[in-house]
Amino acid sequence: MDTIFQLFGIVAPVFVCVGLGVLWAKIGAAFDSKLITSLVYNIGAPCLILATFQKVDLSPGAMGEVALATISCYAAFTILSILLIRLLGLEIPSYLPSLIFPLTASMGLPVCYFALGDEGLALAIVYFTFGAIGTFTAGAAIAAGTLSFRRLMRAPVVHAVLLAVVLQLTDTSLPKWLFNSVNLLGGMVIPAQLVALGVSLLELRVGGLVRSSLLGVFRLVMGVGVGFAVAEAFDLEGAARAVVILQSAMPVAVSSYLFAQQYNRKTDEVAGMIVVSTGISFITLPFLLLAVL
Amino acid sequence: MVGALALNLGMPCLVFSSLTRLNVSLTAFAEMVGAYAVVMLCFLFVGLAAIRSLKVPAHTYLPIFTSSNTGNMGLPLCLFAFGSEGLAFGICIFILSSIYSFTVGWSIYAGRLAADVLYNNPLIYAVALALIFMLSDTSPPDWLANTTELISGLAIPLMLVSLGVAIADLRVRRTGKIVIISFIKLVTGFIVGYAVGDIWGMEGAARGVLIIGAAMPIAVHNYMFAQRFDRNSDDTAGMIVISTILSLATLPLLMYLAL
Repeated sequence: MDTIFQLFGIVAPVFVCVGLGVLWAKIGAAFDSKLITSLVYNIGAPCLILATFQKVDLSPGAMGEVALATISCYAAFTILSILLIRLLGLEIPSYLPSLIFPLTASMGLPVCYFALGDEGLALAIVYFTFGAIGTFTAGAAIAAGTLSFRRLMRAPVVHAVLLAVVLQLTDTSLPKWLFNSVNLLGGMVIPAQLVALGVSLLELRVGGLVRSSLLGVFRLVMGVGVGFAVAEAFDLEGAARAVVILQSAMPVAVSSYLFAQQYNRKTDEVAGMIVVSTGISFITLPFLLLAVL
Repeated sequence: MVGALALNLGMPCLVFSSLTRLNVSLTAFAEMVGAYAVVMLCFLFVGLAAIRSLKVPAHTYLPIFTSSNTGNMGLPLCLFAFGSEGLAFGICIFILSSIYSFTVGWSIYAGRLAADVLYNNPLIYAVALALIFMLSDTSPPDWLANTTELISGLAIPLMLVSLGVAIADLRVRRTGKIVIISFIKLVTGFIVGYAVGDIWGMEGAARGVLIIGAAMPIAVHNYMFAQRFDRNSDDTAGMIVISTILSLATLPLLMYLAL
């Protein structure tokens, strides 16, 4: 019984925040997703990354291991997704990014944080960073047909990670006033993103439900399978193992919708995949947590 | 919209989470609220005296004296100066000051008694819920504690951002009178806070937080109220900007005396 309450304590914040977002959109209160996204990406996220890495003591080995495991996961996602898309005779640009990229930021970070504390959050950020690099370069490249390295190098998140890792490796701590400020600003990231996720779930135009449900389920099953396999192959233990599995098993990333929208790919089906996989993972997440903790 | 998110989601969660998590004892809560109530009563007299002698309308200028920016400016200061203990004390002050502003302050601007704002304000429910846990000496269940802690992270950054944006959007017209009023507000705020803390025999973080809470510049929501009821909103804007800028200059001195 205690375990169930503990699990509920981990997933409830995610549900409640997304629920508040849905409610916010339902009662028709104004929500400027663009403004929130830009606040989060330009100010909040870099601060969260800096502050989190200051709070934990990770060895370069542990970070490297998770980074390598992450790359392996993404490689496996890519190969499996291409196989499925070929098998079903679909077009690669519309479906590939949404199958590959899990929702590591708005959903993965809070789940890892509440399940594993600051260490879990830091490792989840490592996973997320590689996902973000992938989303910005490969994802956009697949959807647009071109590669954009410049865009990646201009992303404040990437700068923050580089700085955080350098500080971690050189064992430097930020001055107290600076740490306080970035810690405070970083606090907005997770709730703001979850509420924004709730708002966007309600705003998505969902279509082609049969196929998108099928693909959404595939993303979740593939995520869990690959996560467990990679964690096993790398002999990961403790927080690192849990983070790799949890992050891999996240539903379809909302950013896939933005890409689909930007490049006029099947937006309604991508939206369907996001809604279906997010909905299912709300139910399956407690069981997954039970299996990895 | 950012302000609405901070006020309707962030602040209630921050209030609930701080009051329950930081184990503010009921006596400390009562002491802080009591001391700040005395402070606000003094503000009321100062305000009435200033309004009489400057011959300005009470519906615009009285709330200026009584409501200080204990939220988006006071809370970060209390947090950084005295850590989480200071934040908890600061929140006690913020609760009293915002309940006052949204009921009495609002009614003064509206020119009528407005009780509906009491039950329309999520903050009231958060305080009530927190008081239940404080009175029964139980801690909230994990899921509630985690959720409110998470959402409370929104409050201070978003409020600071909206304060900055509000100040950037404000336009100042007449000076003279409004400079004098802003100056009176800040100076009397500090003196009243210092005196009440002394007479009450407060010490440490409680004393510092009381002084900070009393010496804060004019609250930004006065601008929203003034605009809503068409009460010289440009003057109000001017006073908010001037008192905020003045306080930025005097803050280091204030922090030195409060610490």
